[in-house]
Amino acid sequence: MRLINRVLAALLSLALIAVSLLLIIEVIVDRASHRTAIVNWHTAYHWAQRNSWAAGSIRVTSGILVLIGLLLLIAELKRPRVSRFAADPAGAGADGIDTAYTRRGLGAAIRSAVTAVDGVRSAAVKVKRRKVKIAAIASAQDRAAARSLRDPIAEAARERLTALKLRRSPSVLVRVAPRSR
Amino acid sequence: MHADRTNRTMMVLFGLLLIAVGLDAGAASIGAYGTHTQHSLLMANPTGHFIGSNGAWLWPVAAVAALIIALLALRWLLALLFSTDRSGDLVIRSSSGAGRTTLANGALTDAVVGEIEGYRGVNSARARLIGDAEDPELVVTAGLEESADFTALRQRIETEALTHARQALGNMALPTQLDLTISTKKASRVT
Repeated sequence: MRLINRVLAALLSLALIAVSLLLIIEVIVDRASHRTAIVNWHTAYHWAQRNSWAAGSIRVTSGILVLIGLLLLIAELKRPRVSRFAADPAGAGADGIDTAYTRRGLGAAIRSAVTAVDGVRSAAVKVKRRKVKIAAIASAQDRAAARSLRDPIAEAARERLTALKLRRSPSVLVRVAPRSR
Repeated sequence: MHADRTNRTMMVLFGLLLIAVGLDAGAASIGAYGTHTQHSLLMANPTGHFIGSNGAWLWPVAAVAALIIALLALRWLLALLFSTDRSGDLVIRSSSGAGRTTLANGALTDAVVGEIEGYRGVNSARARLIGDAEDPELVVTAGLEESADFTALRQRIETEALTHARQALGNMALPTQLDLTISTKKASRVT
């Protein structure tokens, strides 16, 4: 979001500069020679003198503006995805150090623990604020064998989380599917 | 930094502005302000009449306002493109107050990175000093091998490398952030 915001901010600032300069140029040229310089705003003015608020184009434009505004507002006010998981300060080696594991690092640590479980072919790990979702693929094609891996996978993930000594460990959710072919 | 807080505030304000304009025009269009307004021409309203009758001074004022907006937007754009949160070189104060020692920002961060990367089980490290040079914050990212003893490495980094950095700056309370990441990558260390 931060990167998207930077791009949007650059576009918005450029648009503000362009529109402001355009207005300044138009005012100066109009005062000096009573004509338009870059934009033929007389056309827009005449259009506004001919059309009422009930025009379909006004409704469509209003709807688009509200929609864009809402999307922008929702995107900006949405709680950002957690990026750091604080380590337990009780296990700190020095005072005043804010230590945390990155979300990606936590995912990699859990994935490596899960794939080390006998019978697991691969695993995808999604780390959220309070939950770690593990979707594992068993080496077996048999559904019952795959289901039997659920507990060992959850155990391995919890062990890894315990080893990381986080301030608050997320809960673990496991889904195991048998190998398709 | 890239003016992230300003960007977010401006985007929220822009979103609110779009919603306000859209709702106002939409309300006029569907007759929420009465059928008279709904069927009146776009320019036939008090604001339009005011602009029409006061154009002689209003447009020059608008041009001045536009100039101020353009300058502010330019400042925002420059902050977006060129600002950084990194500290400059650090001034180390002696207890006697005599003399002046300057520590290059890169010298400290390179030393921290070199020390952390020397630990077995660490495959990469990055460090930077951010904030005001008078009151900096050390931010360190260390990549740990998946087979490493995470707790032991964390304690080693904190008690050795980060403590050494604090000692070098003569500030044992230096605000420090340590981000640990874990990857399958192995360190390219010669053993």
